Amino acid sequence: MDVAAGETYDLLVVGGGPAGLAATAEAAARGLAVGLVDERPTFGGQIFKQFADGFRVVRPDALGREYRRGRALIEAAEASGAHLLPSTGAVAIRGGEVVLVPDGGAARTVSARCVLIAPGAHDRPVVFPGWTLPGVVTAGAAQSLVKTQRVLPGERIVFAGSGPLALAFPAQLRHYGANVVLALEAGPRPGPRDVARIAAAARGNTPLLRDAALYRLELLRARVPMRYRRIVVRAEGDRRVERVVHAAVDADWRPIAGTEEHVEADALCVGYGFVPSVELLRLAGCDFAYDEDLGGPVVAVDEWRRTSVPGILAAGDGAGVTGSYDAVDEGRLAALGAALDLGALGRSAADELARPVRKRLRRKEAFRAALRPLHAVGAGLYELADHDTVVCRCEEVTKRTLDEAIAASSDPNVAKGFTRAGMGLCQGKSCQRQVAALVAQRHGLPIAAVPPMTPRAPVRPVPLGAVADDSVEDLGLFVA
Amino acid sequence: MLVVGGGLAGTATAYWLAREGVDVVLVERSDLNREASGTNAGSFHFQIAIHQLTARETASSRARLLTDVGLHLSAARLWQTLEQELDGELGVHATGGLMVAETPEELQILHDKQSIEAEAGLETHVLEGDDLRSFAPYLADDLLGATFCPAEGHANPFLAAPLFARRAADRGAVVRTGVEVTGVEDGYVVRTSAGTIGAQRIVNAAGAWADDLAALSGIRLPTRREGLHVNVTEPRQKVLEPLVQHIGRRLTLKQAANGTFIIGGGWPARPEERPARYSTLWTSAAGNAAVAVRVMPALAGVRLVRTWTGVMAFTDDLQPVVGGVGSHPGYFVCLATTGFTLSPLVARMLALHIARGEPLPPEYAPDRKGSPWTVTT
Repeated sequence: MDVAAGETYDLLVVGGGPAGLAATAEAAARGLAVGLVDERPTFGGQIFKQFADGFRVVRPDALGREYRRGRALIEAAEASGAHLLPSTGAVAIRGGEVVLVPDGGAARTVSARCVLIAPGAHDRPVVFPGWTLPGVVTAGAAQSLVKTQRVLPGERIVFAGSGPLALAFPAQLRHYGANVVLALEAGPRPGPRDVARIAAAARGNTPLLRDAALYRLELLRARVPMRYRRIVVRAEGDRRVERVVHAAVDADWRPIAGTEEHVEADALCVGYGFVPSVELLRLAGCDFAYDEDLGGPVVAVDEWRRTSVPGILAAGDGAGVTGSYDAVDEGRLAALGAALDLGALGRSAADELARPVRKRLRRKEAFRAALRPLHAVGAGLYELADHDTVVCRCEEVTKRTLDEAIAASSDPNVAKGFTRAGMGLCQGKSCQRQVAALVAQRHGLPIAAVPPMTPRAPVRPVPLGAVADDSVEDLGLFVA
Repeated sequence: MLVVGGGLAGTATAYWLAREGVDVVLVERSDLNREASGTNAGSFHFQIAIHQLTARETASSRARLLTDVGLHLSAARLWQTLEQELDGELGVHATGGLMVAETPEELQILHDKQSIEAEAGLETHVLEGDDLRSFAPYLADDLLGATFCPAEGHANPFLAAPLFARRAADRGAVVRTGVEVTGVEDGYVVRTSAGTIGAQRIVNAAGAWADDLAALSGIRLPTRREGLHVNVTEPRQKVLEPLVQHIGRRLTLKQAANGTFIIGGGWPARPEERPARYSTLWTSAAGNAAVAVRVMPALAGVRLVRTWTGVMAFTDDLQPVVGGVGSHPGYFVCLATTGFTLSPLVARMLALHIARGEPLPPEYAPDRKGSPWTVTT
């Protein structure tokens, strides 16, 4: 690929959330020439999402600790001297060459000696009858609406989810004035032994504990009914969701017969955790492991966040969903690793700088291990679709059609060829996990053994006019 | 009869043989229709196109081009009967095909090839100026001309090979996937990943890997493997009926029934070691998109959603490889580069040759004389 004249970096950071921001400031401080790319017009990722154009912050103190944390990270990156590229998507990668597309502009190829891919995570898509009804939104989508535009998804909101989000999200919505009528948590109510285990692991993790406690308090204060060990099984309604049907579940999240109840609602927020956005990492050829509790596909990294592909590093929720505190530390580690590999830091200096970072990460791991039993994802979550449920919503492929194709092969790419599931605009982001679950069920495979759909460029849609390059030599046809 | 290869050539051969009452076993090492047969755009190529030219003129290849067009016409007629023959959906549509010219030299080629096509019995018309602009308003209005071929069109590549396989099985053929051939000894004793198979006769329908398979028997085939890069866009309102190609630059452009544009034309992909799929090349996307947008300017705002690759076999003399290998009685090859268009036809020709002794064109013989390659055993 012809690299845009002179545009080479020591470190190109793809993704301007907490991991990418921390890495940018750290790498620039080590003297590296850094580029930071994010597809949004502002940095901050999902958790520190900034206001949209037209809003002006008058009293930053009133926005809370999280807002200030985000601003500090963003301002540090802005002051670092790094080359900042907002509103720019990274759509293809091969080794140290990355194709960037600025909004409304032409694609160009840049090169970097190291590339840190910190793409974050997206809401875990969950397929159940009625999931495509208007008014059914992911927790992330609802969060974006309220954070950037101060718009609520509905007037009677039901939240169904699990994991740390199940504590935080309904409370956040309440904070913005939402009428949350019911919050459903798939996992069990934390018992006294769980609380003790969490407290024991909490040393050095007080910010997390404080967050959790505050959110629970908020919910209690607002009297949002919270019910444990229940999941959504169906959304019903004519032109939009009008009723949410939920049921009690066993330890594997499988609905227990006879426990269905329904509640009237005009919005259903679904928040069953997050899945790393791994398209770019897969395209780069990195090796992956599988851990459902970290969101599923987890890129393999070493102690400096290097992946199996030389020159490619990974950090943040995109490398396994562990939250924003870890993301910041992982970003710092990756920056130190890049500085080490590029000769800007000696080994002992790098180790010294990394020591407190690694210590924090280890403590969080202990905390997370304690939380794991409360927040593991049950297999039943992927068994909610019935024959008529649309699984691939871009191509409107029902479970019935998929089942026929899956019977023929345990390779999801074959099912894709037969049914077009995964070929639509989102390229499988919404349906791939459910398709994989159907393959696993049908062929008796563990989910980790189901091959992913072949990763392909571009990882986001790009206008042909932006892709087109007249200067590429057309050889006419195969010249021997 | 053992057929090796589960693409369109192999499944069609198995079908036509089973129809003749021959005992057939087909083995495919991966899944049916997984390679070139299932990764192409399904376009029918009938009029003379850029990949058939060896120079920027037609006169020096007139004889070859005449027979080519004749073969493609026979293939067209067969495709028209296939849905009935196979009692199933193939998505066959005759939408017509356009071949555009940008330069005066290219326009001359259009006129020259039109006389060859007419002589062979294929109906084509060269449109220029206002005629072209009113016939195809979606094309850039400064193109010098385009050939329109009414018979061209497409079928659905996801349906063809699987349907042939199903009907072959209905007629008694045994179709086995996940079975890879690892060795071939005279007799023929074929070692596979699922045990040994004995067969009186073999058909090598392994497409881009036919040469590897042939090498197991000490046969050298005149083919080489090439990876091709293809692009697909988001769906848009249907405005483009015909397939659009370019006589001087690499482009095939069509809009599928679901509104997506499929853009290819022979741009290269990057080879990878099995089992990895060949990689797409951003430069191919960029160059291919440039030709597409030049020819149909409204495409500039249509978004590319995905690229993928297909792997094809190319022959040095641009002719199919169909027939028996003289030095290996009972060893046959069935391979065509324009595989989607021609495979059902050449497979039937081969099946009738095997079952009824019907002759095959000597210029298709795997060990044809006067060619740069030889059979080594």
